Amino acid sequence: MKLRLALSCLGLLFALPPLQSATTVIRGPYLQSATSTSMVVRWRTDFAEASFVNYGTERTQLTSSAKAEGISAEHIVQLTGLKPGTKYFYSVGAVAAKVPEAAKAKTETTKAAAEVEDGPGKAALNTFTTPPPVGPAAPMRFWVLGDPGTKNAAQAAVRDVYYKFTGNRATDFWLILGDNAYPDGTDSDYQKAIFEVYPKTLATSPLWPALGNHDGKSANSITQSGVYYDIFTLPTRAQAGGVASGTEAYYSFDYANAHFVCLDSHDSARTADGAMMQWLKADLAATQRDWIVAFFHHPTYTKGTHDSDKDSDSAGRMNDMRAIFLPVLEQGGVDLILTGHSHVYERSWLMDGHYGKSPTFDAAQHVKQKVSGRADGDGVYRKPRARTPHFGDINIVTGSAGHGGSLTKPPALNHPAFYISLNEAGSTVVDINGLTLDVTFLNDKGEKRDWFSIVKE
Amino acid sequence: MTVFRSTRRVRHLTLAFMLTGLSGLSMRAHPEIDDALARLNVAIAAAPSAAALYLERGELYARHEDWVAAEANYLRADEIAPALPRLATLRGALALATGHAAEAKTYLDLALSRAPDDLEAFILRARTHAALGARTAARRDYDAALAHATAPAPDLFLERAALLPADEAIRSLDEGVARLGSVVTLHLRALALEESLGRIDAAAARLEQLAAQSERSDSWLKRRGDLLARAGRMIEARAAYAAALSAIVSLPDWLRAAPETAKLTTELVRLGGSPPQKYYP
Repeated sequence: MKLRLALSCLGLLFALPPLQSATTVIRGPYLQSATSTSMVVRWRTDFAEASFVNYGTERTQLTSSAKAEGISAEHIVQLTGLKPGTKYFYSVGAVAAKVPEAAKAKTETTKAAAEVEDGPGKAALNTFTTPPPVGPAAPMRFWVLGDPGTKNAAQAAVRDVYYKFTGNRATDFWLILGDNAYPDGTDSDYQKAIFEVYPKTLATSPLWPALGNHDGKSANSITQSGVYYDIFTLPTRAQAGGVASGTEAYYSFDYANAHFVCLDSHDSARTADGAMMQWLKADLAATQRDWIVAFFHHPTYTKGTHDSDKDSDSAGRMNDMRAIFLPVLEQGGVDLILTGHSHVYERSWLMDGHYGKSPTFDAAQHVKQKVSGRADGDGVYRKPRARTPHFGDINIVTGSAGHGGSLTKPPALNHPAFYISLNEAGSTVVDINGLTLDVTFLNDKGEKRDWFSIVKE
Repeated sequence: MTVFRSTRRVRHLTLAFMLTGLSGLSMRAHPEIDDALARLNVAIAAAPSAAALYLERGELYARHEDWVAAEANYLRADEIAPALPRLATLRGALALATGHAAEAKTYLDLALSRAPDDLEAFILRARTHAALGARTAARRDYDAALAHATAPAPDLFLERAALLPADEAIRSLDEGVARLGSVVTLHLRALALEESLGRIDAAAARLEQLAAQSERSDSWLKRRGDLLARAGRMIEARAAYAAALSAIVSLPDWLRAAPETAKLTTELVRLGGSPPQKYYP
């Protein structure tokens, strides 16, 4: 009998989740697939344990709890039934919230750390704000990083100047445009290039990624396997808006009055009759949002560290995105196209209809509004609110979030589609407020090197 | 196991291998991999018998469609370690990409004999069989791939469906819908097949489902009307057009005023949909 009891106790010991202090958070938490009423919280611990997110709208009242089934070191918990546009406090761990007093005691000790101090290993109290209801306009800021994951000083500088720039203005979400983790997009690369570089933003702002060629070294889109697909939880069934794509390789989501489309320019079929194209057409046709922003890795035009005129460059992927996908995006009324791959900043005029090589570019034909787009210059770009195919869009290559400008081999930067081209490290900040979209390119010294606005009326 | 072993070809590849290994000249058009190539060249110089490094360099070239350099590196890896994991799969992929389906099959058979759960090899061999016109074998491999894949892309269901008779293809696509959700690309293919089989009710029901789940149902309802009109069911077709017009009425003014919507509205009225009273913006 004693033996049976002892064995039972031993069994219980193994069956119980390990104590919270026995494990360390070594990745995250990070936020994924945000909708007005749900949020996916992910993190990694050094040992397998239960997955709980305790949350609430008061710092000292983490009275709600969500969990994932089973025991794992890779934790994925979806919070549902949230209120739109609401700030939540949350912590991750192996146990559910107990009583408000306990939560209070714990959160008091971490109060100073919350929102400002985080990083691997710290079980901090964090916050996120759910997206506002889809449809009505609401101010939003999103941060755009192309080719960030170099783990070098340029990446850190670009990050730091953005944090200074945005100050107390929250980043509602952020986009990474591929080549997120050099050199091979391995788990270790992601750990060092993303999770250890942006812990603060990861814990507080939902991240929407695109697949780049370096990420593609450790991922496979047709099987949706590999590091990129393991790390990210992305909507395949239109959970965040748009039309169901059935794959995490390309997807869409809504935020307030804006619709975002992510394409896989690297590893999914880019043919005119392929699945991605059919989905894109249906997705663009379905949206009722005021703004449409598309993002993917390979640029439609560039004369930076890549050359979109060379058929062999990047195995023709830039040609495909320009000749096959751009006409459909423009027919669908896209406003802004964000890409990376070329480690520079290049920004076009408000333009339409150019699908060939740069010698075929004709400003008279393809530039729809030949102004800088600057309110403090010769005027902002203006578009009708009623979605109008081929009224013009801005193409931005912002692939220098981890790359300082090359001084030894300066790129040509002479594509005629661009209003401005810069061989500088930096990132792009986009603010949408109602029917006004403002874009700022911030270099690694904190200088605003480009800015423009599109106003719909 | 060796396949590309004609003396002439080996000489050609050896020359290509030396050139690519020593200078990376063919990489000029792919600046982003210069660093990776340089790193591999250094590593190979330090460990010239490390087959995995040649495999990696070959894959790097293949990713950028530099087939000659890729093949040369795979060949070197094969000489050093013929049983190297993934080597046969990658050689199969290369052979398929360059139009040598029969050779691809040999490599992929080998790959799967060594690693029977190699999902990538199953997919590649399915495509290889399809390229060779071996539909039954292709289907078998797609079945295996879909059974192995935890999150298959819609493309795999579409590729398999292309090999099947229409009624089986529809079942296959619906299996994709059951696994992946109501994916529009799968529905679109199924719709075309259903209409080709004269299954108008099934196609109409599918379009109704797509309309119901879409934020903008108007274009799906229009398609439903077109389908019914093609089938000679004009009364139902007109009802579908009227429903599409009603859906347009419910759009916000600014969307209703969009040129594409106005064009669709005109078309729907022309086709016989009775315009609701509130129809004009």
